[in-house]
Amino acid sequence: MAHAEHRSRPLTAALYTVAAAGTAVLVAACGSTARPAQSAGSAAVLAASSATISETGSSLLAPQAQTWAAAYQRANPGVTVSIKSTSSGTGISAASAGTADIGASDAYLSSGDVVQSPTLLNIALTVSAQTVIYNLPGLSQASHVSLDGQVLAEIYNGTITMWDDSRITSLYLNKGLDLPHLPIVPLHRSGSSGDTFLFTSYLSTQDTGWDSKIGYGTTAVWPSVPGTAGPAAAAGEAHSTDMLNACVATPGCIGYNGISYLSGALTGHLGYASLKNNAGAYTLPTAPAIQAAVASFVPLTPPNETVSMIDGPASTGYPVVNYEYAVVKAVQPDAAKASALQAFLRWVITTGNSTSYLKNLGFQPLSGPLVTLGEQQIEEIHS
Amino acid sequence: MTATLTGIPPAPPAARPQRAPGRGTRGIARRRGLSTPDTLRTLLASLVLLSLAWGAFGGWVATVHSSAAQSLVSVDEPLSLDARQMYQAIADADATITAAYLARSQPPLAQLQRYQNDIATAATDLSRLRSGGDSAAAGSALAALSGGLPVYTGDVAKAQTEYAMGFPLTGGSFFQVASEQAHLVLLPAANTVFTQENAALSAESGDATGWLTLIAALLLAVVTGIVLYRAQRWLTRRTNRTFSPGLVFASVLLVISVAWLAAGFLTARSDFGRGFGQGSDPAENLALASIGVQQIRGDAVLNVISRSGNNAFADDFAKTSKLVGPGSGSWLGEAATAQEPGGPGAALVAQAEQEATSWYAANSSVYTLGNKAQYAAERTSVVAAAPAGTATGYDTLEGRIGAAINADQGVFQSAASAGANALSPLAGVVIACSLLMAVCCAWAVSRRLAEYR
Repeated sequence: MAHAEHRSRPLTAALYTVAAAGTAVLVAACGSTARPAQSAGSAAVLAASSATISETGSSLLAPQAQTWAAAYQRANPGVTVSIKSTSSGTGISAASAGTADIGASDAYLSSGDVVQSPTLLNIALTVSAQTVIYNLPGLSQASHVSLDGQVLAEIYNGTITMWDDSRITSLYLNKGLDLPHLPIVPLHRSGSSGDTFLFTSYLSTQDTGWDSKIGYGTTAVWPSVPGTAGPAAAAGEAHSTDMLNACVATPGCIGYNGISYLSGALTGHLGYASLKNNAGAYTLPTAPAIQAAVASFVPLTPPNETVSMIDGPASTGYPVVNYEYAVVKAVQPDAAKASALQAFLRWVITTGNSTSYLKNLGFQPLSGPLVTLGEQQIEEIHS
Repeated sequence: MTATLTGIPPAPPAARPQRAPGRGTRGIARRRGLSTPDTLRTLLASLVLLSLAWGAFGGWVATVHSSAAQSLVSVDEPLSLDARQMYQAIADADATITAAYLARSQPPLAQLQRYQNDIATAATDLSRLRSGGDSAAAGSALAALSGGLPVYTGDVAKAQTEYAMGFPLTGGSFFQVASEQAHLVLLPAANTVFTQENAALSAESGDATGWLTLIAALLLAVVTGIVLYRAQRWLTRRTNRTFSPGLVFASVLLVISVAWLAAGFLTARSDFGRGFGQGSDPAENLALASIGVQQIRGDAVLNVISRSGNNAFADDFAKTSKLVGPGSGSWLGEAATAQEPGGPGAALVAQAEQEATSWYAANSSVYTLGNKAQYAAERTSVVAAAPAGTATGYDTLEGRIGAAINADQGVFQSAASAGANALSPLAGVVIACSLLMAVCCAWAVSRRLAEYR
């Protein structure tokens, strides 16, 4: 499918070129005094009206991207937007190599990517949060286990192995919960994952031992947890869906997933934790908590929108929040593709960020200054 | 001894055997129908003008070479040094501040001061380069540096604030943004300035030691010498006097001024050749090696703070370490070959080569650890002192290369100053000689002319 899309691109570009040339000849023949700016505007409209845009990457963002694609195609019948759920690492690689127009990523570009491909942009598309999910049969979904980075680190390094360990039961509201004497099965993602980057970042900020021994990144050397982890847990889950399914199938599991998979987790009778933030408060990934966490970073966000918002200062904020990024090459092969991408990305960060598009999956809209930064970056896309 | 014609009637030209109109002063006089006094007046004017022309042109040539040499020593070489130092300061500032915060969220004061000193040095060098540089390419690079340096320090300040407030990951992302600014904007611009200033240094060297104007001056001196010789021969034939002491003295002055000019020029050329061959050229290779080492260090630090997961830095490390050397054709290798035997630079370059080899061995594990997601070990290997990490090795290697550069700069300064000193008195000598020549010529011919009054 990707090959087919690839092959159709030159044809689309050629048709566009012919159409644009025809329009220009017609305008000239009619003695129009149209200025170049007007012609460029026509080209953008034309580009947006007949283009193919391919996106691959973050499985966390994929459901939202599908929603955007469907809505955008309805509004622009000539445009095809294809979405492929893979991983953030794949998305960045594909955008860098030019095999996809947009790479979706939960993590901002690394310096290696930026220095190797200085024309890559990472444009924030929406605000996301990461949930810590668990499968504790008998525990009401209305109850939420309270966890902090230190306890999570001890779970993932095999120091805490049972759900009724005193280091868990002593935390915040856990005293009122009847946590079972059940082995903990920590699940993690395999391969390069933005989710892993966010999760290990949280652990690193709250547990110096984790930071000094494991650290944070899109992949991690997960400590073996003897006696509890089955083959699936040891190998890791390839995608967000796999993480969700594995946790549903494994009583006692604990895992991490993007906010867009929370409704699936609830459907699968999983619970999700309230996490301790930098101010010491335990918060759930609610819309107000996510927005509060992000609000303190909005004025700090640099022009390239590279900023880590893990464990921020907001006292009521949820500690694991992030921007979801579109990784795009600033230099596109032709004007039609550049215009089509600009039009689509502008739509996503404005119209596509309205609550009506985001509410079902739990993403939060970008604030005004972030939309402005995004538009400034989108302006840099050219042929 | 000079014999005069006072009281003795001049030998009538008609009494002398007539010859067919030919070449030379007499021929011209005959063809133009000039009398002997008229011919002497013309000869006087010609010799005086030619002497002055030699003084003017020879002096100008000497001045051009001398001022180019002075500019080389006092302007171009310092600007080239400033450009190198600016690159080094920016690269070191970035690696130092980032590694310091990677190691500890509250870094030691010494590291913070080193960063501040680096930034101050870069700003000072930038200011000097802006006021001293004149090439368009360097101008745009300097403008990029002027605009980019405050952006960089602003991002670093934000990162430090976030660390101080207890948000190391946010601080880390600002360090990433700052380092990308350094790697993508500041260091390439600084490298452009360094390249431009080195090109200006080479061009100025060409002006100081170029042959063309000197050959033109020597040709004029030859023409002047021929005219002096023929004038003496004509006077001998017309006046029965074997020598015209004034013209002989003028000829001697011409020989002295030409010999002085040529000897001064050749001495300066030899000094500059030694200065470039054993001073500036190896210093430039060492500066390139230093830039390579800083790139390797900066990439390793950046890789840790951004959790790259990208092989680009590892590939760059392999390529850059080959360019840096040691080894034949590498920057360190070329610098070692060019060193003055037994000079201080030779030992320092040899030490730098040894240090580079062991530093590469320590560095080679950095990217392996990162690729295996062993982030903590990777960070330790980058920020810790030896033997656990590569930070000490970097400081030592940079110290060795810096000392070798200073030694080579010393060789260049000494040789180039000697060359400039050899050129500086030439203009005065040539002009003084030419004025004396003019006086001698005027005196010699006017005495013959007086015999006709």
